Amino acid sequence: MLGRHWLWMVLAGLRSLGAAADEVAVGEVAAGAPSVVAGPPSDVSVTVYRAPLRNSGSMSLNQLGGFALVSETRTVRLAAGENRLRFEGVADGIEPASVIVAGLPGILEKNREGQLLSPSALIAAAVGKPVVFVRSNAKTGKSEALPGTIVSDADGGVVFKTAQGIEALRCSGLAETVEFTSTELSALPTLSVLVRSAQATIATVTLSYLARGFDWSADYVATLSPDGKTLDLGAWVTLANGNGVGFPKARTQVVAGRVNRESGAVEPIDIGSPILAQCWPRGSTSDTPPQSQLQGASPLGFGLLYAPMDARRQMMALAAPAAMQEFAQKVVEEQLGDLKLYRVPDRTTVAARQSKQVRLMDRTAIAVNTVYQADLGADEAERSTPAVKLLRTQNDAAHHLGLPLPSGRVAVFTDRGGASLLLHESAMRDLAVDEEVEIDLGESADVQVKTVKGEVSVDSAHAHISERVQISNARAAGIQFELRLALAPGARVMRADHALAFKNGRPIFRLSIPAGETATLSYQIDSAVRHLVPR
Amino acid sequence: MHARLFLIGVTLGVLLSSAALSAERSLAVTIYANDLALIQDRREIEVSGGRQRIEFQDVSAQIRPETVSLTAPDISIVEQNFDYDLLTPAKLMEKAVGQDITIVRVNPATGAETREQARVLATNGGVVLKIGQRIEVLRDDGLPVRVIFDKVPDNLRARPTLSVTVDSSRAGSRQATLSYLTPGLGWRADYVALFNEADAKIDVQGWVTLTNSSGSSYDNAQTLLVAGAPNQAGGAGVGFGQVRRPMPARAQRPTLQEAGTESGSREQLGDFYLYPLAERTSIANLQTKQVSFLDVHGVPAEHGYEFHNPWLGTADAPQSAKTVYSFSTSAHAGLGDQLPAGVLRFYLRDKRGDPQFIGESRIDHTPMGSTLSLATGDAFDVKVHAVVDKRTRLGEFEWQTDMRYELTNALPKPVVVKLLQSGLWGDSRISAESQKSVRQSAETAEWPVTVPANGKAALTASFVTRY
Repeated sequence: MLGRHWLWMVLAGLRSLGAAADEVAVGEVAAGAPSVVAGPPSDVSVTVYRAPLRNSGSMSLNQLGGFALVSETRTVRLAAGENRLRFEGVADGIEPASVIVAGLPGILEKNREGQLLSPSALIAAAVGKPVVFVRSNAKTGKSEALPGTIVSDADGGVVFKTAQGIEALRCSGLAETVEFTSTELSALPTLSVLVRSAQATIATVTLSYLARGFDWSADYVATLSPDGKTLDLGAWVTLANGNGVGFPKARTQVVAGRVNRESGAVEPIDIGSPILAQCWPRGSTSDTPPQSQLQGASPLGFGLLYAPMDARRQMMALAAPAAMQEFAQKVVEEQLGDLKLYRVPDRTTVAARQSKQVRLMDRTAIAVNTVYQADLGADEAERSTPAVKLLRTQNDAAHHLGLPLPSGRVAVFTDRGGASLLLHESAMRDLAVDEEVEIDLGESADVQVKTVKGEVSVDSAHAHISERVQISNARAAGIQFELRLALAPGARVMRADHALAFKNGRPIFRLSIPAGETATLSYQIDSAVRHLVPR
Repeated sequence: MHARLFLIGVTLGVLLSSAALSAERSLAVTIYANDLALIQDRREIEVSGGRQRIEFQDVSAQIRPETVSLTAPDISIVEQNFDYDLLTPAKLMEKAVGQDITIVRVNPATGAETREQARVLATNGGVVLKIGQRIEVLRDDGLPVRVIFDKVPDNLRARPTLSVTVDSSRAGSRQATLSYLTPGLGWRADYVALFNEADAKIDVQGWVTLTNSSGSSYDNAQTLLVAGAPNQAGGAGVGFGQVRRPMPARAQRPTLQEAGTESGSREQLGDFYLYPLAERTSIANLQTKQVSFLDVHGVPAEHGYEFHNPWLGTADAPQSAKTVYSFSTSAHAGLGDQLPAGVLRFYLRDKRGDPQFIGESRIDHTPMGSTLSLATGDAFDVKVHAVVDKRTRLGEFEWQTDMRYELTNALPKPVVVKLLQSGLWGDSRISAESQKSVRQSAETAEWPVTVPANGKAALTASFVTRY
């Protein structure tokens, strides 16, 4: 748990509030500062945020473009004086600049080391230093050890020097290798804090950081009643961790709403390149693969390198409608500033490379209207296009809703002889309470819209365009139909044989079309000449 | 990676002594905000009299060799060279063309070794050797053959190497200063702000974040950070490794609302502010290092909403207003400091009292006494639906545009949204509006619109424009 003084510890020698500190407080990096490893996390909290650029739709396990705020509480033993406190097992997607360490006295500096232990890093560190070369004889099984130095490791080839002369590593076709005695590098990106403590102490430290490679979205399952008049809506929070580090028994939250992110690339780390000895021509067929430096994670929302390699499959199979299921726990909503925070009630384990679902909401008997809709541009070609079927309702208590609906994906099912079948799947944006909800059911071939261009007359300032639209309904029941026009600036509908309305600033015609009939709609558009597209 | 602390003297054909180095070394690193650093490397060098070559291997791997200057008493510079021909097995063999090497054949059946002298004839796609009177291709039969060279060619090195040929009027050790510019070192500020909703105050911590992707480490360096970006003319020398530059700021709302006019006590260099680190520090390659420079508590801050509609902006669906926090950097009721450019991350306590991240915003170099207004993200519950209601042609070049803005608030408290309509440049005016506007600039009109709790508000305005 984070204490009251979560962030702020007063730095030693800090000036009074508001005064400009002339010099940045930093400690001398005594190479001798003892290295202390922080204990394992005792309390972990993970808050997952969505990909900032995704306004609607679901996430993809191959591209976890979101991030998470990870907070961990650890216990550390500090000696008197300077300590180099190391935190191990942090998420690999950590953004080093976002690290906050609370609960420590006198932090001198925070460091994230980006040079990782790898074969090439070992070689690079050993250039010019004494090492031992070992050559084994495959036939006799004998190996000989030769002291020498690595002269160069440029471009993936190793040149070394022994008492016998200058040679190139593994160009002879013999079994050759290098033995090292020590290294100071570690396997994972390590976070370390240089801290000065007045006396030996045991401190409880809270480490917080943002990490890439997480994401979440809401997955809605809507079940349409057989008469098409009501809808049951259930939803999951689907969250995923693409990092190689898991968070056992974590307090878990997700946050809905778009948060601003500025950081582009994460500071690079060097995971090393293979040391396939690069030899003279033909000496070896082993070509050095391209440098595989893990250079800077991609900007947020543009795909990510922490995608699990084996996740190249579809996202979770579509959840079946959950009408019969019981849910032991649902996430609890709370307001976080202008965002929505959903808390998983019980602690849960967010494992490495895992996606996890927790119930978000369940509502039944939501009254919906079914509307067929078509958009018509100013210069639409004369051809038949199918109309789009929409389910429309209002996000309020009267419609059995009235709760924030975070963005995600909606799958609409309907019942057929006791089995639920999928009708359509579409994306949904963040919907606040009292907003209109439209669920896309896809195109309907039974309702076709055809434009027939009428005559065009042009006078000095205006063009008058007559248009006729035919809407045919091949369904067994009457439908509600809406035609939305997209007009050029300054263009207006002058006259029409149906009532004209406006919705969202666009002219719209609403028609009832009985079963098996074709309705005809005629209107005239008055447009400024300069906007008339010549035909 | 370890900096090699030794300056390696290399004997050049004619006279050249070796220049040894002592452990007395003092590094000063000045880092600018635009991926540029000035390295001043003071050390004892051991020189003999006369003309000689001094090699510096432990310099930045991304050094801009054209900016190098070496100063030492009683030394005149003859020439400076930067050699980047690297020593690889292939190069080693290539340079051995026409020369003799030793080959050691290993009998795969017995393990017995046979030594022979060979002359390298060519290395074009394969190594052709002349052994005695025979000519053969190295390891053509796939059997193991060791190749032993007598020496490494002079100008092949493991790392790109800077060398300076000097003329010394006397022998003996002396203090020398090597200075150069290098990309790959950078710094920026990172701020952490915790907003307290109950009393509308923020606590702000500022950290300088040093990054080093220059390929080299700088041990025990005296470090100075300059909050400024000196102009760099093109042609950035020989670049090794990748240079990472910050993402260009997207076309964004301005964060600086009012520029400050206060001066503080921070040291300045020209018009740049300086942030010296109090003590020496080591900057390892690929390390990200953070050091505190600001810690202020209880600064009054304001939370508001803002919606910016571009000219003729019309939307099919309502769009979220931006959540905006504003505060002062004044010495009085503010942060009381100049803020170097960086990213400010906002946190807010959830119902359990745990800080949660609510968004971040980039700020530019900000003088003291300024008012900053930072957008952290979109408000889930406060939305604006802007539509172009009608466009009417008034004359040949004159149009009237009727705009309608519908604002909704799903929060249980009233909010005020700062509604901005831009694109009013030139000869344009507001002919009618349902609420009096404030003209921020010729370009932008502003309406502070109050939206009741769980309610709606509407605003209409007509603009007459010419073009």
